[in-house]
Parts: sequence; C-alpha cells; structure tokens
Amino acid sequence: MMTRIWPIALAVVTDSLRRKVVYVVLVFAAVLAMAIPSLPSYGLGIEDAVYREVALALSFVTALVLTLSLAANRVPSEVERRTVYNVLAKGVSRGEYLVGSWLGVLIVTGGAIAAFTGVQQVIALARYGDPMWRLWQGALAVWLEMGVLSAFAVAISAVAGPVVVVTAALAVLFVGHSRSTLIGGEGALALRPFYPSLDTFNIVNPVAHGTGVPALYVLSMLVVFVGFVAIALSAAVWLFGRRDL
Amino acid sequence: MSEGNGPAILIRAAHKRYKPIVAAPQRDAVRGVDISVAHGTIHGLLGPNGAGKTTTIKMLLGLVRPTGGEFRILGEDSTRPGGRRRVGFMPEQPYFPQHLRAAQALRLYAQLAGVPRDEITPRTTALMERVGLQGREKTTLDAFSRGMLQRLGIAQALINEPEVVVLDEPASGLDPVGQRDVRNLMLELRDACVTVLLSSHQLSEVEAVCDDVTIMNAGRVAAEGDLDALLNVEGRTSIRVRGLDGGLPAPVAGLAGDVAVTGGISVFSVADEAVRAVIDAVDDAGGRVVSVTPVRDSLEDYFARLLAATAEGGEDR
Repeated sequence: MMTRIWPIALAVVTDSLRRKVVYVVLVFAAVLAMAIPSLPSYGLGIEDAVYREVALALSFVTALVLTLSLAANRVPSEVERRTVYNVLAKGVSRGEYLVGSWLGVLIVTGGAIAAFTGVQQVIALARYGDPMWRLWQGALAVWLEMGVLSAFAVAISAVAGPVVVVTAALAVLFVGHSRSTLIGGEGALALRPFYPSLDTFNIVNPVAHGTGVPALYVLSMLVVFVGFVAIALSAAVWLFGRRDL
Repeated sequence: MSEGNGPAILIRAAHKRYKPIVAAPQRDAVRGVDISVAHGTIHGLLGPNGAGKTTTIKMLLGLVRPTGGEFRILGEDSTRPGGRRRVGFMPEQPYFPQHLRAAQALRLYAQLAGVPRDEITPRTTALMERVGLQGREKTTLDAFSRGMLQRLGIAQALINEPEVVVLDEPASGLDPVGQRDVRNLMLELRDACVTVLLSSHQLSEVEAVCDDVTIMNAGRVAAEGDLDALLNVEGRTSIRVRGLDGGLPAPVAGLAGDVAVTGGISVFSVADEAVRAVIDAVDDAGGRVVSVTPVRDSLEDYFARLLAATAEGGEDR
C-alpha cells in the first residue's frame, strides 16, 4: 500500500514546491516575525512571552493559508485535468490516492512550519539570547491541527470545488474552537465529550507564558490527531468512492 | 502472458444511468452493452460522440461506477484496483502534472504500477525511445506539444508491461507519421500477445489494425464482430481476370455482376458461394485469374449506413 501512497505524496510535495504561494507566505511570515519586537505591548516587561505568543499565532496563520491553498484544490484540479485517470488506472485505489494527497500536503505544511519555527528561533536568539525551544511544541500542535484540517479539506474536496472546501474548512476550524461558546452552559455539558473540539491543539498559553506541555499531553494530541484524521479520511474515501470521474 | 480460457476483456450487461441531483429525467448513457475481447487481438470500439464508448471504458477501469453489469480483465473484476494491475490505459487527451519532466512522470507511473526499482530506469529509457521521445527525458511537460503528450500517454500506459492495453483515441493530435507509429505500435503489441482495446474515431486506423470491432450508438451495441465479415456486407467476391478477350464465358456471365473490362482485364463480382465454380470456368475458358478479393464496403460507409439505420429504428420506436 505504501509503495503506492508514497509516490503520490512525493508528487504532491514536488508540485507544491514549484508554487510561488509557499515561498510568498513564508517570506511574508518571516518579515512579520522580525517585526514582532516592535509591538507596543513590549512595554509590559514580558517581552519574550509576547514574542512566543505572536510567533505561534503567525505560525498558525501561515500554516492555515498554506494548508487551504494546497489541500482545497488538489483533488478537484486533478479530477478536472484528468491527471487522476492515469493514477487510478495503475491499480491505485481511490483511498490510496486520497491518503497520498493528504500526506503530501501534510509533509509540505510540516516543512514550512519547521522552516518558519527555525526562523523564529534565530530571531529569538538574536533578540533575547534564548532559542526558545518550547516554540517547537507549539509548532507541533499547529502542524497536527493543520493535518486534521487538511484531512477535512481533502474529504470535502472529494465532492466539491475549492471555494466550498475553503469555506467548509474555515467553518470546521471555527466550530472546532467554539466548544465553550456553543455548549458552555450546564444544560449542554453532556454533549461535551461528543463535540468535535480542536482545542486540544491550542497550547499557546503553556508555550508562551508557561513551561510548555508535558510529554503525556503531546501524546494525547497525537491520539486526537489520529482519530480526527481517520474519521475525515474515511469520509473522504467513502465520498470519493461514490463519485464518477 | 496470461492465456486464460475466457476472454481477455469481458463486459457483460454494462449499464450506466446518470441520476441528476435536481429534478430532471434520468439518462441512460450505456444500456446492456456486451463486449468480449479475445486474448492477443486488437478490438476496436467505434461510435459517434455520445455513443457511450468512453463511459463504457471508464466503467471497465473503475473510473465511473456502473449502475449494473460485469467487468472483467484477465478474469479479474476490473472495477476493483487489484483487477487493473496488469492493465495499461491511455485516456483521451492524456494530461500529466505539468511541473514534472518526462522521465520523472514515467518514473512516477512506474512506481504506482509497482515496477521493480531497478527496472524503472531501463524501461523509461526504452519506452521514451519506442514512442519517439528520446532525448526529451529532461524536458518539463509544460513544454510538450499535444502530440508529444499523446506519445508520453502511450508510454505511461506501457510502463508496467501490461497484458491488456486500453487506448482511447491514441492517434488524436498526432501528425501522419505519429499516427503510423501508433498503428505499428499496436500491431507490435498484438504480435507480443498483448490484448488491445482501441476506442477511436479514426476509421482508417481501426480498419488498418483491428481484428474485431464493436460499434456503439446511443448507449447500445449496434453491431459487432469480425471486421472482414462486417464489411463484406454484400456477400460477394471481386474477381480480376486476364485473357478473356472473347468476353466472359457463359457460365460466368450468368453469375457475374458489375462487369468492367479495361486493358484486357475483366473485373466482375460474384456471390461468395459461386467463386470456386467461376474460377474453374475461367480456367476452362483459357483465362488467368489475377486476383480474388472480398467485395468490401469501406468502414466509413458501413458506419454511416449503420448509424442511419439505427437512427431510423430509434425513430420508429
């Protein structure tokens, strides 16, 4: 199975690397990161914490833009340009094709987040004399959340065009971070375990203002990531399997 | 090569009904299509636009979900991925990821098809040469012309050394030399016992290479069978004779039709079953038979006549 998934993922990576959007977003984010120390809140005396918080926010937005731009159009464009015919006719299952496409997006996003986090570390080292290794925990959380989001995007893109995919993915993101708002009341507390919350991946506070998260929490993030991705990709395979190409 | 007892490709009672999401009449794109392709033959699939050829091929290859029917390639259910591993497919107007180089694209498809790692490079080199793209291995595909993409499409279809090849309009966009190359390639494949299902609008191409054809119209099979039998519609044979200066002998004159005499050669047609008797009579009269060939319709004429007939039949219904 991996012998077929891996080449598809690498093709997605190769295709993504030639897209200007990847580099434009990264450069723009790096410039913003360098501008963080000039923020007015630096008068509060918690400069390094604010730097980490804004840096993580920048990582999140950068990764979100990359994820949506790569995942939303991947499957629709392959179907429209019929490049998918050559792939599926080789005995590749639709599931393998979708998983390979998702994996490719995940790799590119991971590479971009890693590069961006590296830039943030360099700036932190230069400005504060501290490499801020905790940023990598935040980067991991952002990457995992983008993995979940890209899986949902791939699922929706199995039957819809890019505009619908982006809209739906943003809706998923909004709902995923609104559990306390939407079912915060006591009457709805019973629903909390079933709510598709992405709050697990929000570790800005412990990373920016605390000492980071323990290894067990990182493990729990991985479990939630695997669960959401499995559900989303299963839906993707089910939807795409019923589609005429 | 697989030499099973059954046909290499079997399509039985293929049916595809498109159900619109909004309230609109359902449309049957393919209805009860049966196609059987013998091992090591080239089978043509003909029909006007909208006849259901491409839908049938897509159902065969699992790209479109059939409403009903059975689809087998080399005895395996070809709608499942595992049933397509020994198949090569070239879609109409093949598209490729434009950022790849030609050799990279072939490498990708070789990996997907499970070609052993150490065989990928030699196969890629050999196929690039075979389809006339040698020296273009490092050219990115956005610089390829339509004809070059078509050639690459054929190469990717053959990268896994398939036992069955499905070609959808393989000569489309090719210049005459390219079309000849494709014809020769198909004949080479047949010589190597590879089964070819060829969907084409180019009747001359079909006529030149196909052993059997299936002609589709309005989602149904309008005609099928051996090409010679289909085109020999009159059931007559054309005979050219030299040396009958005194005219056709009486036994021949009574059987011959469409008689023409030019430059000492008499050309006439007779019913197939009378050929032996006519040749004997010509011999007895001192004539010399120059050629004996079936009276063949051109595929183009046959095709047009068939479609007109099925259209009239459809109107009658």
